[in-house]
Amino acid sequence: MSERPVPPRHLWWLAAGFTVWCSALVALYAIHGFGCAFVWSAGSLRLWLAVALLAHLMVLGWMWYGISRVAPDFGFGPTGVFLYWAVMGTLITALVATAITFGPPLLLATCI
Amino acid sequence: MSESVERLPQGTPALRLHRQLSAIWATGPGLQRLAAVNHSVIGLRMMVTSFAFFAIAGVLGMLTRVQLATPNSTFMVPETYNQVFTMHGSMMLFLFAIPMVESFAVYLTPKILGTRDFAFPRLTAYGYWCYLFGGTILTVALIAGVAPNGGWFMYTPLSSNVYTPGINSDVWLLGVTFVEISALSLAMEIVVSILKMRAPGMSLDRMPIFAWYILVTAMMMIVAFPPLILGSILLEVERAFGLPFFDPTRGGDALLWQHLFWLFGHPDVYIIFLPMAAVLSTIIPVFANRPLVGYRAIVVAIVALAFLSFGIWVHHMFTVGIPHLALAFFSAGSAIVAVPTAVQIFAWLATLAHGRPRWDVPMLYVFGFFFIFVIGGLTGVMLAMVPFDWQAHDTYFVVAHMHYVVAGALAFPMLAAFYYWLPLLTGRTAVHRLSVPAFWLIFVGFNLTFFLMHLTGLLGMPRRIYTYHGDEGWNWLNLLSSLGGFVMTIGFALLVIDLFVQLRYGRRVRRNPWGSTTLEWAMSIPPASYAFASIPHVATTNDGSAPGELAVSLARGEGYLGSVRNGWQEALGVHMTSGVPDQLIILPNPTYLPLCTALVTAAAVLSMLFKFYWLSLGFALVTMGLFVFAAQSAGLARDYGPLPIGRGVNVPPHTEVADAPAWLALICTLVADGTLFTSLLFGTFYLWISAPNWTTAITPEPSRALAFGAVAALVVATAAARGSLRTATAGGKASGWIALGVMALLVAIAAAVRQIAGVVPDPREHALGATAAALLGYVTLHAGIGILFLVSNILRQRAGFISPRRVLDLRLTQLWLDYTLITGVIAMGLVLTLPALVTVLGGRP
Repeated sequence: MSERPVPPRHLWWLAAGFTVWCSALVALYAIHGFGCAFVWSAGSLRLWLAVALLAHLMVLGWMWYGISRVAPDFGFGPTGVFLYWAVMGTLITALVATAITFGPPLLLATCI
Repeated sequence: MSESVERLPQGTPALRLHRQLSAIWATGPGLQRLAAVNHSVIGLRMMVTSFAFFAIAGVLGMLTRVQLATPNSTFMVPETYNQVFTMHGSMMLFLFAIPMVESFAVYLTPKILGTRDFAFPRLTAYGYWCYLFGGTILTVALIAGVAPNGGWFMYTPLSSNVYTPGINSDVWLLGVTFVEISALSLAMEIVVSILKMRAPGMSLDRMPIFAWYILVTAMMMIVAFPPLILGSILLEVERAFGLPFFDPTRGGDALLWQHLFWLFGHPDVYIIFLPMAAVLSTIIPVFANRPLVGYRAIVVAIVALAFLSFGIWVHHMFTVGIPHLALAFFSAGSAIVAVPTAVQIFAWLATLAHGRPRWDVPMLYVFGFFFIFVIGGLTGVMLAMVPFDWQAHDTYFVVAHMHYVVAGALAFPMLAAFYYWLPLLTGRTAVHRLSVPAFWLIFVGFNLTFFLMHLTGLLGMPRRIYTYHGDEGWNWLNLLSSLGGFVMTIGFALLVIDLFVQLRYGRRVRRNPWGSTTLEWAMSIPPASYAFASIPHVATTNDGSAPGELAVSLARGEGYLGSVRNGWQEALGVHMTSGVPDQLIILPNPTYLPLCTALVTAAAVLSMLFKFYWLSLGFALVTMGLFVFAAQSAGLARDYGPLPIGRGVNVPPHTEVADAPAWLALICTLVADGTLFTSLLFGTFYLWISAPNWTTAITPEPSRALAFGAVAALVVATAAARGSLRTATAGGKASGWIALGVMALLVAIAAAVRQIAGVVPDPREHALGATAAALLGYVTLHAGIGILFLVSNILRQRAGFISPRRVLDLRLTQLWLDYTLITGVIAMGLVLTLPALVTVLGGRP
């Protein structure tokens, strides 16, 4: 085989997108729980939630941009290309899932 | 297409090679069977055991249907009914579903990957014995009339001491945790083996889709089980020692149990489903006569599904009073999880649509799966909508949905797999005159039983009631459901008869009877103990190989490792992504150690159950000692350097490489352990913010000196671990560093224990003290296990298992102690912060 093997640490990238999704869930759920427990006003709680969501969306967008602006490294052979597209798929899916799962609920009543 | 490899100079004729390999790999006769560690033997045993539990759980299910067939039934008294339905659910989920999918993984995965066994055969055997003993404890409790009776999810406070004072709940908590040890150990084994032990050339993009599914499932298990294990430990500690984690009158919160349970419980549905999806993704292309459509999309869908399934646990708790906004997160997540599932369904349909499908018994069950899973999936989306869930919660609608997605999505692919791979086990095919009617009886019976439960639920019948009056309008629906249950049981009985008929009279089949493309068919039927006489080289995608042709070449020893050496059980380790061989893995021979260790573990569990706590602690220590003892015979006692493995390739033994399977296994262990620790942190914060009475508790006054002392001692221990590794790598003796490490850990333990003794408020009086004690106990336990690592290092150094090239033991110790230090700092920091947290609570408006 002439191509270089893909370093095993690259496999973590398969989980990266949805790890950010998990982080968004934990952050939003925690902020919401904290805000309701400490009786924050609806406006400030919603603002904090929106900031947290936006931060996660930006991280995902940045990761997607970072991956998509470089072509797959053909030096890694078909395995590298496969992982490139799989990682790309998980990042896009995680970005869409984050927006759909956590965006619309922010419009609901906060602590009822 | 897999290619045959050049003949080795020392190649041997097939029969001679078979005899030589059998002498090394085969499990002995008679009592020596108890020493078996081979994946084929253990996998088969797990399969048989899980089906035995399935039969018991099935009978219990039938008993519930008899009870509910008519109103005002006196067939069972309420207490018996409670035990029966609780054990039906618990056995089906914990003793059948999870172990059954694991048994498929254990038996098939090494064969599909083109390797000879798993990375840690003794762990496989230990996992099996733990499963058997844990299941036996639960079954004996049922016979003795002291079985769990609080429902299969053991909600507190019903399962707490106040409302369930006997040992019923303890049986569940200890028995199920025991079985979970088995599941976790096997999950780690599977992850390591799939990543490190594939056939050479099988890069990740060439890996059969089956292995992707099993890999992701095993990773999910590593993360999903620890929250439940933690919950079970905390509840058992509450029941046994009075630490009130779930008691609201003493600063606990009953809902914490629900969070910890469903953090496991929801992913568990997918842990059961994904291996069955693996079966479907393997079988459908074979019967469609074309490769699977959307391999890459399916890999992405599996990863997405794995993560999303963790983020929707609260949809089991929609009615507990969580605010709407938070519920909407989980509602949206529960709906969106249908998307990656649908990707797979459409990929299977597309494969069938673009292929030339042929019908056989496995495809009947695939058809059954499609029908049932789509219904279950759609009712799942209905229940994901909060307003509907509020109406249907705790009714038979949920029971129906649950059986469609878990039982249907499990049973039908399982039976498809059963008919598909049985020729591999028996060398014979099914008798169609029995298997086709068996399918229709199961299919019709299943739908008759469970579809009608949707209607019973919509008419308002609550789950778990032991009888009803008869004027609610549920009579005929319940009667028909019970009738359907009997029809389904007749179908299963016919299936069992079919199995025995197949074993005795089934038509003998040629190798690879279905025209499959995966490597498990490239071996003798039934498989030999060593699986492959020589290891294949995979040149292109594995889903396109021709196992029949390859099998003859491999049997002649024309692949890798086509000869025997030193009586070693040899397998190959490969680079994780490329599949290039990078190490020779020498596996342990059959041994009674797994059985003995599991017996002692069972003794610890039983002692705990009967409240002999000191005895239980003693047995737990012996169990750990046996693990240290087992480590003494692992590996090689001298350096070998690169050894020939065939095809002109030389690789070093696994003892002399950096990324040996044990390294990856410890990482998996720490991921599981870290999840448990994170769950403990979550529990602490959850109680802080949600539980009542925290502001009225006595303010804790943790000792900073002891906390800093413990952390400093852990720092010294990690520094000593580094010193020992440096010394051993340079060729010196590391005994001095190891002794320093032991001393430091003893100091850390002493400081932590002293802190536990001084925790305020008393851990038995308030959850605030209980959580502090739990955090400190976690640090103590890990420092103690660190000592075991160091003791093992000393013993193995003396026995010659450590050299400048063979320093894996010391690297493992260092990794463990690093983890202990990090979690120790977090735990101690949180304990010191607790007074401030309580003060913050007091400032709430």
